Amino acid sequence: MKIKAVRRPETPEQARDWARELGEQALYVAGGTGLHFMTDPAEMVAIPLDRIGLRGVECSGRHYRIGALTPLADVMNYRAERWAFHETGRRTATHQIRNISTVGGNICRVFPWCDLPVALLALEATMVLLGDDGYAVPADDYFASQPARRLANGDLLLAVDVPVLEAHMGFGYRKEVICHSGFSLMTVAARLRLEGDRIRDARVAAGAALPFPARLKQVEALLADQPATPDTFARAATEGVREVAWKGREDWSDAYAAHAAAIAVRDALDRALTFARRRDW
Amino acid sequence: MNDPLTLHIRLNGEPRVFAADPDEKLLELLRRHGLKGAKFGCREGVCGACTVLLDGRAVYACLLPACLADGHEVVTIEGVGDQEHPHPFQQALVEAGAVQCGFCIPGMVLSAKALLDENPQPEDEEIREKMDGNLCRCTGYEKIWTALKAVIAAGGGGGEDAS
Ligand SMILES: Cc1cc2nc3c(=O)[nH]c(=O)nc-3n(C[C@H](O)[C@H](O)[C@H](O)COP(=O)(O)OP(=O)(O)OC[C@H]3O[C@@H](n4cnc5c(N)ncnc54)[C@H](O)[C@@H]3O)c2cc1C
Ligand code: FES
Ligand code: FES
Repeated sequence: MKIKAVRRPETPEQARDWARELGEQALYVAGGTGLHFMTDPAEMVAIPLDRIGLRGVECSGRHYRIGALTPLADVMNYRAERWAFHETGRRTATHQIRNISTVGGNICRVFPWCDLPVALLALEATMVLLGDDGYAVPADDYFASQPARRLANGDLLLAVDVPVLEAHMGFGYRKEVICHSGFSLMTVAARLRLEGDRIRDARVAAGAALPFPARLKQVEALLADQPATPDTFARAATEGVREVAWKGREDWSDAYAAHAAAIAVRDALDRALTFARRRDW
Repeated sequence: MNDPLTLHIRLNGEPRVFAADPDEKLLELLRRHGLKGAKFGCREGVCGACTVLLDGRAVYACLLPACLADGHEVVTIEGVGDQEHPHPFQQALVEAGAVQCGFCIPGMVLSAKALLDENPQPEDEEIREKMDGNLCRCTGYEKIWTALKAVIAAGGGGGEDAS
């Protein structure tokens, strides 16, 4: 795509108004790193978002609010009690990309390798958007299809609310790449809620080796109300991913992607369990 | 060419005004104005040869739309030391014999400068995290690592520069 003009708003409302006025020609630009992958020949008017604020992470008690313009590096550096999301940012691309790519850019146009949608699905996040007014969309609904289509009317992502993990909850993230800074080939995120030694419920999501990030509902069903043991995890990871249509990317065959999925699910669950049982906070 | 944009950028410590094509990347703009230290390497956000600092953070100039630099501070390798007054990491690279073809070095220096400016005493894990976007096809990284560790051991940089 080609940028033929630039209009630089000072507020989210001004950005939205200009996007609506420009219609199909409007293109919000956050970090701009995604433009590299948007290869259709359309001529667009860029609306850079770097002056409208929406940057940083704040805790409200029940959730962390991450501004849409927060660079991934800041997400990775943020530390607080029961905050696990930095585990995802750490594994995204390279430092130079994490410095400029934003949370919003990663989830408003979801490329297959994007890390955050998978983690946000597992963490039961909520997206906060600006349309005529502000409105909120839960992750399951937001990632049901390509968000860029939902946002084509000029709606702007303002923030992401990530619930604070309760004491008996744990989160694990697993990403497979060919080399350190390579594109994701398989991503799995898991959130476990324990009750004593049993799993009360689980949210598990995968991406990269799927056409679009999605929850692994069969894995979740095999975990619910089961003892939190290696056997449970092994069974959920092998049986739960069997019916999923895995899609190998780069040099991976579909069969290898299916094999890798079972391992990644198990690893993510192991991490989530370790996290849930940590007593140091 | 579309109607040019007017960009106000504080470049290597000097306020500058540039005319830029709306579709231009920062790397193209810098090189068009004679600042050729940032290199065209992969042009796809992988190699790090185009690294510059935007408000003190290392970014890939090959990906960055020039319009996003408007109103911001940019430091290129031309603003970090010179032959008489090299940045401590530049000096350490020479002393460690860490430069072969040199293509990656401007980007390496800028990533290291950003790292040391933020934390003059980084642990190894932080070094790996913050230098992970610069590839070197010649040296095998060992001597670059040695040079960086030498700077850290000596107090962590903070050399002369225009920024
Ligand atoms: C070489 C390379 C490797 C990468 N590897 C990975 C990886 O492994 N994992 C990963 O997760 N990511 C990876 N990325 C990053 C990812 O591909 C995107 O480039 C990045 O997430 C886009 O973020 P941005 O802030 O630059 O968004 P932009 O490029 O500015 O925008 C992306 C899209 O989102 C829209 N948009 C942005 N912000 C908003 C908003 N607030 N409201 C509405 N719409 C908005 C824009 O209009 C555009 O359509 C990689 C990138 C590169 C270049
Ligand atoms: S030229 Fe920019 S990262 Fe390679
Ligand atoms: S010295 Fe040649 S690429 Fe690094």
